[in-house]
Amino acid sequence: MAAYFDDEDLAHFGELEKHHPELWALWSKYYGKAFEEGLLTKREKILIGFAVALCEKCPYCIHSYTAQAQSIGLTMEHLAEAGHATASLRAGITMAHALVAHNIDKKTGM
Amino acid sequence: MTMTLPTLASRRLPLAMASEQRATLRRLPLAREFDQRLADAGLAPMRPTRIEVMQVNVGRVCNQTCRHCHVDAGPDRREVMSRDTMQLCLDALAKSDIGTVDVTGGAPEMNPHFRWFVREVRALGRHVMDRCNLTILETPSHRDLPAFFAEHNVEVVCSLPHYLGARTDRQRGDGVYETSIRALKRLNALGYGSGVAGRRLVLVANPVGAFTISDQGLMEAEFRKALGERHGVVFDQLYCLTNMPISRYLEWLVESKNLAPYMEALANAFNPAAAAGAMCRNTVSVGWDGALYDCDFNQMLDMPVAQGAPRHVRDFDLAALTARAIETDRHCFGCTAGEGSSCGGATA
Repeated sequence: MAAYFDDEDLAHFGELEKHHPELWALWSKYYGKAFEEGLLTKREKILIGFAVALCEKCPYCIHSYTAQAQSIGLTMEHLAEAGHATASLRAGITMAHALVAHNIDKKTGM
Repeated sequence: MTMTLPTLASRRLPLAMASEQRATLRRLPLAREFDQRLADAGLAPMRPTRIEVMQVNVGRVCNQTCRHCHVDAGPDRREVMSRDTMQLCLDALAKSDIGTVDVTGGAPEMNPHFRWFVREVRALGRHVMDRCNLTILETPSHRDLPAFFAEHNVEVVCSLPHYLGARTDRQRGDGVYETSIRALKRLNALGYGSGVAGRRLVLVANPVGAFTISDQGLMEAEFRKALGERHGVVFDQLYCLTNMPISRYLEWLVESKNLAPYMEALANAFNPAAAAGAMCRNTVSVGWDGALYDCDFNQMLDMPVAQGAPRHVRDFDLAALTARAIETDRHCFGCTAGEGSSCGGATA
C-alpha cells in the first residue's frame, strides 16, 4: 500500500473539484478571500496558516505554508517561534481542559 | 561553522564549463521551452526596448566565494579587465546616450583600475552603480572606498541575502554578516541610505535556498524594520533577486537534489509581464575581455550577443545592438518567474 500522504498530492488537489464543482467553487472563493490582505498583513496570514497547519497536523499545509513563508523571507528561526507559540497554546488548552475534571471533582467530591 | 567551497574553476569540475552547465539544464524534463513561453506571450524573439544601462564586468576576482555565485568568482580567479578595455567602454559610452554604468564583478573594487574607471565615467556625466559585496569595504586597502563613492556620487548596490546573520553567513561565509553590517554603518555615516541625492544605497537580497521571493515590497519592509531595530542601519531600496541555476548555485542545486523541482517551479511561474520587463531589454553587458553579451548570466554561460551584432566593445554600435535579437536558454526562466528578477530587482 502506498503512503497515505505523498508530496506529489498537492499538485492534483484540484481534482477534488469534479465531485462537487459548486461547493468546491464556494470553498475556493472563501479560502482565497479569507487569505487576502486586509486588516491583517500577508505575513500575519501566512503565519496563521502555518500555525493551523501544525495544529491540524496537515503535511500538505505545513509544506505549503513553509514554502509561502520562505517566499517572503521568513526562515526556520521565524517558523520555530511560530511552532513554539502554537505548541505552548496547545499545552495550555490541554491544561485548560483539566478544568472540566476540576469542576466535576469540585461538584461531586467531598 | 559555515564553510564555502573554493571556485568550481579551482576544483577543475566539469560544471566549471559553461557548456556543461547548459547541458545540465537541458537534460531536465520541462513541459515547455523558454522560447515557446516567450512566443506564447508574443515576445519572441526577445529584443531590446532601449539600451539604457551598460553593465561592465571588470573581473572575476573576489574576496569571497559565495555558495550561490553565478560568476564562480573568488580569490583564485585571474580574469581582470585591463585599462585599455575600460577605455574602449568609455569610448563606446561617449558615442552613445547610455545613462547608467553598472560596474560588477567579482568584487569590482579589486580591479586595479576601478577608481580610474569610475572617475572617467563620472566625467562623461553618466550615473555609476557599484555592485558591492560590502566586506571588501572592510579590507585595509579598500577602507577609504565609501568616501570615494560619496565624492563621486556613486550608487552603491550591496549584497545582503538576509537580515539574519546565520542565513547570510550560510551563503556567503563565516563572519560576512557582521562585517557587512559594519560596512553599512560606515556608508550610513556618510549619508548613504537616507534618501539623499548622490548617496543612494540599495540592498540586494537573494534566497538562501531553492525557492524564490514572492513579494519584494514585503521583504523590503521586513529588512527595514529588522536592520533598523537591530543595527540602526538604513537603506533606500531593497532588490530581491532570484538565484540563477548556473555555476556554483547550479552545483548546490544538483548536490542537494533540488535542481529538477527548482527549475520546474521557475518554469511554471513564467510571467509574461516579468519577461516584458527583463533587464536584457535595456542593458548590454561587457565581459572582462571586452566581449558583449545580453546579460551577465549569458556572459557566464559563454553566450555572446547574436551573430551579426557587434560582439566586442571596440565595435560598439548602439543602433545595431538595439536591433539585435536576445539570446535565450533555459536559465532565462530565472528572470521571468513570478515578480521577475533583474539587477534592479522585480520587473513585474
